[in-house]
Amino acid sequence: MAKLVPLLAVFFYLVCVSEAVFEDQVGKFDWRRQYVGKVLFASFDSPSQSSKKLFVATDKNIFASLNSRTGDLFWRHVDKMGPEGAVDTLLVNAQDGRLLRSWDTNVGGLNWEVVLDTGSFQAACFVGIQDTVKHVAVLKKTAISLHYLSNGHQKWVENLPDSDTVKYQAVYSGGGEEVFVLGMVPHSHLTITVYSLEDGEIIRQVTGPQLSADSGRRLLDTTVIFPLDANGGKPQKLYVHAFLKKDDSVGYRVLVQTEDHALTFIQQPGRVVWTREEALADVVTMEMVDLPLTGTQAELEGEFGKKADGLLPMVMKRLSSQVILLQAWMAHLWKLFYEARKPRSQIKNEVTIETLSRDEFNLQKMMVMVTASGKLFGIDSKSGTILWKHYLENVQPNAAFKLIVQRTTAHFPHPPQCTLLIKDKDTGLATLHVFNPIFGRKSQISLPALPRPILQSLLLPVIDQDYAKCLLLVDDQYKVTAFPSTKNVMQQLQEMASSIFFYLVDSEQGTLSGFRLRKDLSSELIWEVVLPTEVQKIVAVKGKRPSEHVHSQGRVMGDRSVLYKYLNPNLLAVVTESTDTHPERAFVGMFLVDGVTGRIIHEAVQRKARGPIHFVHSENWVVYEYWNTKSRRNEFSVLELFEGTELYNSTVFSSLDRPHLPQVLQQSYIFPSPITTMEATLTEKGITSRHLLVGLPSGAILSLPKMFLDPRRPEVVNEHSREENLIPYAPEMPIRTEWFINYNQTISRLKGIYTAPSGLESTCLVVAYGLDIYQTRVYPSKQFDVLKDDYDYVLISSVLFALFFATMISKRLAEVKLLNRAWR
Amino acid sequence: MASPGGQGSGALSTRGGVARRMKWALELSLGNTRGRGDRQSNQGDVMYPIGYSDKPVPDTSIQETDKNLVEKRCWDVALGPLKQIPMNLFIMYMSGNTISIFPIMMVCMMAWRPIQALMSMSATFKLLENSNQQWLQGLVYSVGNLLGSALAIYKCQSMGLLPTHSSDWLAFIEPPQRVEIMGGGMVL
Repeated sequence: MAKLVPLLAVFFYLVCVSEAVFEDQVGKFDWRRQYVGKVLFASFDSPSQSSKKLFVATDKNIFASLNSRTGDLFWRHVDKMGPEGAVDTLLVNAQDGRLLRSWDTNVGGLNWEVVLDTGSFQAACFVGIQDTVKHVAVLKKTAISLHYLSNGHQKWVENLPDSDTVKYQAVYSGGGEEVFVLGMVPHSHLTITVYSLEDGEIIRQVTGPQLSADSGRRLLDTTVIFPLDANGGKPQKLYVHAFLKKDDSVGYRVLVQTEDHALTFIQQPGRVVWTREEALADVVTMEMVDLPLTGTQAELEGEFGKKADGLLPMVMKRLSSQVILLQAWMAHLWKLFYEARKPRSQIKNEVTIETLSRDEFNLQKMMVMVTASGKLFGIDSKSGTILWKHYLENVQPNAAFKLIVQRTTAHFPHPPQCTLLIKDKDTGLATLHVFNPIFGRKSQISLPALPRPILQSLLLPVIDQDYAKCLLLVDDQYKVTAFPSTKNVMQQLQEMASSIFFYLVDSEQGTLSGFRLRKDLSSELIWEVVLPTEVQKIVAVKGKRPSEHVHSQGRVMGDRSVLYKYLNPNLLAVVTESTDTHPERAFVGMFLVDGVTGRIIHEAVQRKARGPIHFVHSENWVVYEYWNTKSRRNEFSVLELFEGTELYNSTVFSSLDRPHLPQVLQQSYIFPSPITTMEATLTEKGITSRHLLVGLPSGAILSLPKMFLDPRRPEVVNEHSREENLIPYAPEMPIRTEWFINYNQTISRLKGIYTAPSGLESTCLVVAYGLDIYQTRVYPSKQFDVLKDDYDYVLISSVLFALFFATMISKRLAEVKLLNRAWR
Repeated sequence: MASPGGQGSGALSTRGGVARRMKWALELSLGNTRGRGDRQSNQGDVMYPIGYSDKPVPDTSIQETDKNLVEKRCWDVALGPLKQIPMNLFIMYMSGNTISIFPIMMVCMMAWRPIQALMSMSATFKLLENSNQQWLQGLVYSVGNLLGSALAIYKCQSMGLLPTHSSDWLAFIEPPQRVEIMGGGMVL
């Protein structure tokens, strides 16, 4: 790949500066995929068969060059987001009618850039004289300007006559000394104005009645039949490149853009050369699902999962499982031996769905990604290959998605099940799409009818007979629909209905409401918190991740007492921003509300602060980041909640029985850079220390240890705080470059980070998505539970054997010598 | 002692060459070892002086029945551990409160010795059986040992090894069970 060489050069320069990853570990545990987005304009490089480059400009304000043979990126320019960077047409790339830029096609460097007068852009074209193109004409609503192609300077600019009545739409140059401008008065007539190339004088004007739209000579009349991906959408746009082949026949290559933002490149006989899945440039949400167990593993789990029934049966069970393992191992050895005998080229190392199974430490998982275009992808987390795709028809552009894992792969005969809730923002109606996350196939399960708009959903630990968790859908009359709704589930629901609560947050009206489920699956409102919208607007509400496990219930102090953490699983962190954005009066509010009782456990208002606010709520702490308008800098603040030196109730946590409010400790720090997103690492048992993964706008992801964000950091160091290993308080939070987890693989426009625990306690799997997708493994406490990667088995075992034999030999020799001496 | 005998028998041999035993001469070494003396280092069967016996003679004298001495000796045995305590205190003070190899060794030794002594109480009682205050002395002995082990435990406590604080039991606290189930979010 052409992009690898400069990347390698940069990397080798960087490797002497940072020590985070070893050189030979690059690309071993992580991968990055770069995307461009939905293509708006595309053009082929040169009108010959051998052109290799393809230029695309996308709706994400990206201008890129693709290799037309393989579909890889040569280079890519990521412009500012928003309307300033939007690309209007691709000839030489004009942008927004304000900037005219010329790019070098080989390397992607900018040749020149010219600022045009503002005015709404209509069309542009190359103007040539007898085979040489020297000028570019840009047509705006009221004026036409001609620029030199070599340096962009303006040659002349002329106003268009009658521009308030005539809508000028196209500009054309026939190769002569004239530029033709076509304008149309709606429902009346067409005018063609001809300008002279030299100085822009109007040569003549022609008006004529409106012609019907039917013209153009057709040079080629062929039909192309090409295979379309069954899981993809219908084709939307075709970019055809026709050229003359050596034998004077006309050949063509077509770039097809389909509804699901996928680009397919097709060559003459209908053969698909490559496909790019550009929907992945717009990932909305994702989940990571464990891979299924192999047959032997499943049997073992099954055997040991059942209850013990006595000493002898357990022994027999153990022996039989050992026999199974032995058989599996011998089969594995045989397969290895057999494959080693075959020539290398025949051994396929591809990852296919059929061969997927959980590896020893559960480090390879299936990433299920939902994109904004309605396409679902299943990606292997180890290699990044797309294993399955599924396109959902009729997904509106501003739909809301929620992805829920209802059944994991842990329950062997039952297939895993994921549910995607798609809500159409306009009508409010929602649809459910239930599928198997490993194979991507739709599940044949009867879906409940959802006639009313759905407000939210919640996942209960209530388990059906086939181990699927129950999903409750709340509609706008606050009635609840359960899915799956078998008799068993309904019975369980009715039993525990009085302890099922849910909350809804309406940010337009500024209310948080809490409901309790009744036995007939309707709900009653039990609490409401109103934050008036004239003063502040609710921006985000976050609870804790349900799969999170906290290892220790308290913190050990320097005098060996314990400060117990306030671990309320029903706590919500509500962040509000003030409606007044003046720097003196803006504020940011942080409310900690109990979701069951509605009690405001803690409220904090940060004055002279402004969003966008990024926050993480986990365990007993909340970390949030804001912009301080008075000191004009980015700041981090951490809130930790403690119960005190005694636990109120150590066995059971009930929000309804908590008379005492927790103690809250808070501290703030200055951060040198703005951030785009933030997430905390997660492990299975919670023993590993937590790191906060902070995405910086430069494309790097910083792994910030939570130790630095500790509200107990002392300003004056005494012996107790040294016992607890507390870092003395310093207001600046340093960014150390060795904390970056993506060494030189910057991720453009980072939107979100997803963390998942793996089978090893020390390892956390991280996926960062935005315009690019990057996956890696993070070790917050270093790898304390595995042997290091390059552990020298050979050396150690050979030394061991050598010493063992040396011991035996010298023992024998010593015996012999002693005996000889005794006989003298 | 070999030389005068050697001279004597040397005088004998010069007389007749035959080692004849004189009636009243005392031979302190056997004649046949003279020639071989330099070859074997101390293989000579040296004759011991009169009254010298090679093996220790068992003391078949009558036991000392002086009551005072018996009592004194028994009390010495009983108060032994108590006399060790000041020395142990000093050793403890010197070794300090950090956890490193030397203090740990001292503490282990100080802890093990009283326990070993308490376990072999029956042997001690056998030593004390001749006095008539043997129960009192036994009691004092065991009290002394218990005090010694208490001292070792106090040393452990001041080093922070005993689980007396709540932070030592923190690892055994299970996370509390949830009574209510909660979910929801912002309106989609």
